[in-house]
Amino acid sequence: MRLGLRDLPSRLRLHRLLAVVSIAVAAGAVAAAIASPRLPLQDWGILAVFAVVIAVGEVNRIVLPGGRETAPMSLAAGYALAMTWDVGEDYRVSFGAGVVVATASVGMLAGAVPALIRRWPVRADDLAARLLSVAVAALLFRHLGVSDGQPLLTLQDNWASTRWVTAISMVMVSGVALFVQSFCVAMATASRDHRPFWRSLVDEVRQGAGLGAALAASGTLIALAERPMGIVALPVFLVPLVLTQFAIRRFAGIRATYGQTIRALSRLTEIGGYTRRDHPARVAALSVAMGRDLGMSDRDTLDLEYAALLHDIGQVALREPIPGGATMMAAPADQDRIAGDGAGIVRQTGVLDHVAVILASQAKPYRHVRELGEDLPLASRIIKVANAYDDLVGEARARRARKHTAAIERIHLGLGYEYDPRVVEALIRVLERRAAVVGAG
Amino acid sequence: MTRRDPTPRPAEPPGVRVYVLVVAAIAFSGVAASWVLVGPPNDLVALATLLVLGFISVGVQERDVGSKVSLSFLSIVVIASIVLTGPVGSALIGALPVMFERGGRRALARLFNASMLACQGVVGGLVYLRLGGAQDIATIEGPAALLLRVGVPLMAADVAQMLVNAVLLSGVMRMSTGVPPRRFFAQIVTGSGPAYIGYGVIGFLLVILWIPADVGPFSAVLILAPLFVARWAFVQFGEEQRAHERALSALVTAVETKDPNAAGHSARIARLAEWMAEPLSMGTQDVQALRYAAMLHDVGKIGVPTRILRRPRRLSVVDLEALTRHSVLGVKLVRDIDFLSGSLDGIRHHHERWDGLGYPDSLAGDEIPLISRIIAVADAFDALTTDRAERPALTPAQALKQIEQRRGRQFDPHVVAALATVVERHEWPVTTATEEQLEQMRGYLDHDDPIAWEQVWTAAPRSGQIVQDPEPATRQARRRRGDGIPDDSRRIPDESAVAEQVRAP
Repeated sequence: MRLGLRDLPSRLRLHRLLAVVSIAVAAGAVAAAIASPRLPLQDWGILAVFAVVIAVGEVNRIVLPGGRETAPMSLAAGYALAMTWDVGEDYRVSFGAGVVVATASVGMLAGAVPALIRRWPVRADDLAARLLSVAVAALLFRHLGVSDGQPLLTLQDNWASTRWVTAISMVMVSGVALFVQSFCVAMATASRDHRPFWRSLVDEVRQGAGLGAALAASGTLIALAERPMGIVALPVFLVPLVLTQFAIRRFAGIRATYGQTIRALSRLTEIGGYTRRDHPARVAALSVAMGRDLGMSDRDTLDLEYAALLHDIGQVALREPIPGGATMMAAPADQDRIAGDGAGIVRQTGVLDHVAVILASQAKPYRHVRELGEDLPLASRIIKVANAYDDLVGEARARRARKHTAAIERIHLGLGYEYDPRVVEALIRVLERRAAVVGAG
Repeated sequence: MTRRDPTPRPAEPPGVRVYVLVVAAIAFSGVAASWVLVGPPNDLVALATLLVLGFISVGVQERDVGSKVSLSFLSIVVIASIVLTGPVGSALIGALPVMFERGGRRALARLFNASMLACQGVVGGLVYLRLGGAQDIATIEGPAALLLRVGVPLMAADVAQMLVNAVLLSGVMRMSTGVPPRRFFAQIVTGSGPAYIGYGVIGFLLVILWIPADVGPFSAVLILAPLFVARWAFVQFGEEQRAHERALSALVTAVETKDPNAAGHSARIARLAEWMAEPLSMGTQDVQALRYAAMLHDVGKIGVPTRILRRPRRLSVVDLEALTRHSVLGVKLVRDIDFLSGSLDGIRHHHERWDGLGYPDSLAGDEIPLISRIIAVADAFDALTTDRAERPALTPAQALKQIEQRRGRQFDPHVVAALATVVERHEWPVTTATEEQLEQMRGYLDHDDPIAWEQVWTAAPRSGQIVQDPEPATRQARRRRGDGIPDDSRRIPDESAVAEQVRAP
C-alpha cells in the first residue's frame, strides 16, 4: 500500500491516540484533585451541580447537519466551570484546574452511561476532544499568568475598571478552547475518514463557528451571572443555548430527511428496472470516499453524494431499459443524452442546481479538459470513474477479486483519455483501504 | 411579536385610517402621561444601546422561515428595556425602529406598528411598576429577591404586552377585513403566547446580566449571540424544508412523466383527501400522514413496465397483476423516509376493498387503515370525474352515485358519507381533456376507475383459461406469496412466475 504524508493521521491512528491522551489528562486531574488541599463543603455542592449539568448535556447530544455529534450544553457548562470565581455576592471558590477537569470528566463519563447501557455507539474521540477543550480553558483562565504573573481570573477583582477587558478575554479563552476542540476533532476525522488534515480542520472550524460563538457566549455569561445569582445561574442562563440547540436539531433533522428523500429518488431507476440493485447507493458510497480522499469540502461532498445517487435518473425517461442498466456500456452519445435528461429532471426541482451541473458533465471524457480546455467539475470526474468501476464489477460476490482486477485494468486503458488519472489513483487508494479492512476483519 | 401590514394593498377602508390615528393618539398621550408620572429614562447609555439593538433587530427582519417559529429580537429588547429604561424608554425603543423601518411598508402601516409598540412599552412599564417591580435593581441581592422583585413583575408586564398586541391587531383586522375580532384575538394569543413567554425569560436574563452582574451593554452581545445562531438555524431549516418539499414532488413528477394520463391526479387526491379528513374528525398528525400518502399513493407505478401503463385494455390477467403491484412497490420506494412512516400503510393498502377482495393483502373492513380507505374513495371519485377516451367525465353528483352503489362492498360506508359531505361543501371541478389528449388516451385503463376496472378484469384473456373468477384466485396467490414482497423484487417478476401463481389451485 502506498502511503504518503497525507496518510499520516490514519497511520498514527490519531483518533485512538486522542482518547488515550484525554484519559491520561483525566487521570492526572483526578490525582491532582485528590492531592490538593481539602475543599470547603460549599465548593463540593457547586461542583456537584456542574457535574450533573454536564452529564445532562452529554445525554442531550445533538447531531450537526453533516453528521457530526456534539454536546453544546455540556461544553458551555464546562467552560463556565473553568471560569467560575465568585458564586454569590460573598463567596469565592478555591479549586484549581485539576478539580475542574476531574469534575468535567466525571460528568462526561456519567453522561455516556445511558448510551453505553443501551449499547449505542459512543464516540470516544469526540468525548476526548470535549474534555481536552475544557482542560485548556481551565488552564488558560486559572493558571496562565498575564499581568504580573497573575492569572486572568484575578482580573475579576477589579471588575468595575476592567469589565470590558475581562468579559472579552473570557470569550476569547472559550474561543481558544473551542479551537482546540475543533483541532482534535479534525485530527480524528482526518484519521478515520482518510481525509487531508487541513481540509478537515477548515470544515470543522467553518461548521462549528456559529455554534461555537453561542457556546463561548453562554460559558462566559454563566460565569459572570454566578456572582449575583449564585449557582442557580447555571441552569437559568443555559436557556438561550437550549433554544439554539433546538433550532440546530431541527435543521439537522430536515437535512437528514432531505437525504432520505434523495435516496428514495435514487431508487426510482432501480425499482423501474433500469439499473441493478443498489447501484446508485454503491456508486455514492464510493464517490464520497474518493471525494474525501481528494480533499473535497463537506459542502462539495454533499453535492457529490446527491449527484452520485441521482446519476442514473436520466434513464427514467428511456422507454426501454438498457440491458443490465450499465450506462458505461452504452454508446457515448446515449450516455450523454441520459446525463442530459438526468440533469433536466433534477433541475426541475429548482433547488438542486449544483447537482444538475455535476450530472450534465458526468459522461464527458477527461480528454475534453486537455484538448478542448473544458472545465469538468471534479465531482463529475469522480462519478464517471466510480460508475465505471461499479458497472464493471457488478454485484456478484463470486469471483469478485478477478472481476476487480479486470475492472481496474479496463479503467487503466482509458487513463488520461476517458478518466482523470488523479481520480483513478484515489479510487485505487480507497479500494486498497477497503480490502485492508476486509482482510483484517 | 406579531406585526402586520394592516392594509391590504389596493385600497384601505376609511375605518382603518381613523383606527390607526386613534391608536397613535392613545400611544402619544400614554408616553406623555408616563413621562409626567414616572419621569424620563434616566440611564441614557442603556437607552442608546437598546435603541441601536432595536434598529439592528428590525434590520434583520424576521423573514418567513417556514417553520412557524420565529424569533423577534425587538420583543426581547423591548421587554428588557422596561426595567433598564422605564416605560418611556421602552415605548421609544419599540416605536422608533419600526417607525423608520425600511423595506416597502406603507407609512400608515409603520405608524400603526410604531403606535402599537409604544402602547406595549407604556402598558408593560406601568404594569411592572404597579406590581412592585424594582426601579433600582443594583441594590437587590440574592436570586430569590431578584426573582420576586424583578422576574415576576417582568413576566406580568410581558403578558400585558402580549395582550395589548393581540387587542390592537385584532382591532385593525376587524377594520380592514371584517374578521370577527374575538376569533383573531384567540388566534394571536395561542399563536404567539409561548414565544412571548420565551421573550420574557430572555429579557429577564438580559436585565440580570446588565445590572446585578454589572456587565453593562456587553451583556446584550452575550445574550443575543446564541439567539442569533438559533435564528440562523431556523432560517436554514426553512430553506432546507422548502428544498425538501421540491425534491419530494420530483418523485411525483417522475411518475407522471412515465404515465402522462395521470397528470395532476396525485395533487387532486391529496386535496380531496384532506377535505374528507374534516368530517371524519382526524387529528393533525393523521391528516399530515394522509396528505403525504395521497400524494405518493401511485408512486410505485414507476416499477410497472411502460407498455402495461400505456395500453392496459388489451392486457391479460397476468399483466394486470403486474399493474396491481404498484401499491407494494410504492412502499418499497419510500419506506426509508422517516417522516413518511405513518403514510406507508396508507400507500400499501389503498386498493384494498371493504369486502376483502382487494389487493395486495385482501384485508377487509376495519383491518384496512383509515388512511387507505379514504384514499380508495378519493381515488375512485377523481378517476370518475376525469375525461377518458371512452366516456366524458362524470359530474360530481353522478360519480358520488356510482361510489355510493359500491358502499359496503368496495368502500367503507363512513368514508363514502364523508365524501358526500365534501361534495356538498366544496366545488369540485371535473378534469377535462383536449381532443389531442383523448386521442392519446385511447386504450388507456385508469386502474382507479371502478367501472372500467371491473369491465376489463372480467374481459381480460386469462392465461391458460383455468381461472374463471379472478378475484378469489388472486387472494390465494397473494396468500401463498406471504406478505407480497418477494425478497428480490427490483423488477416485475417475470410473467411465467406470476402465471404460475395465478394458476395454482
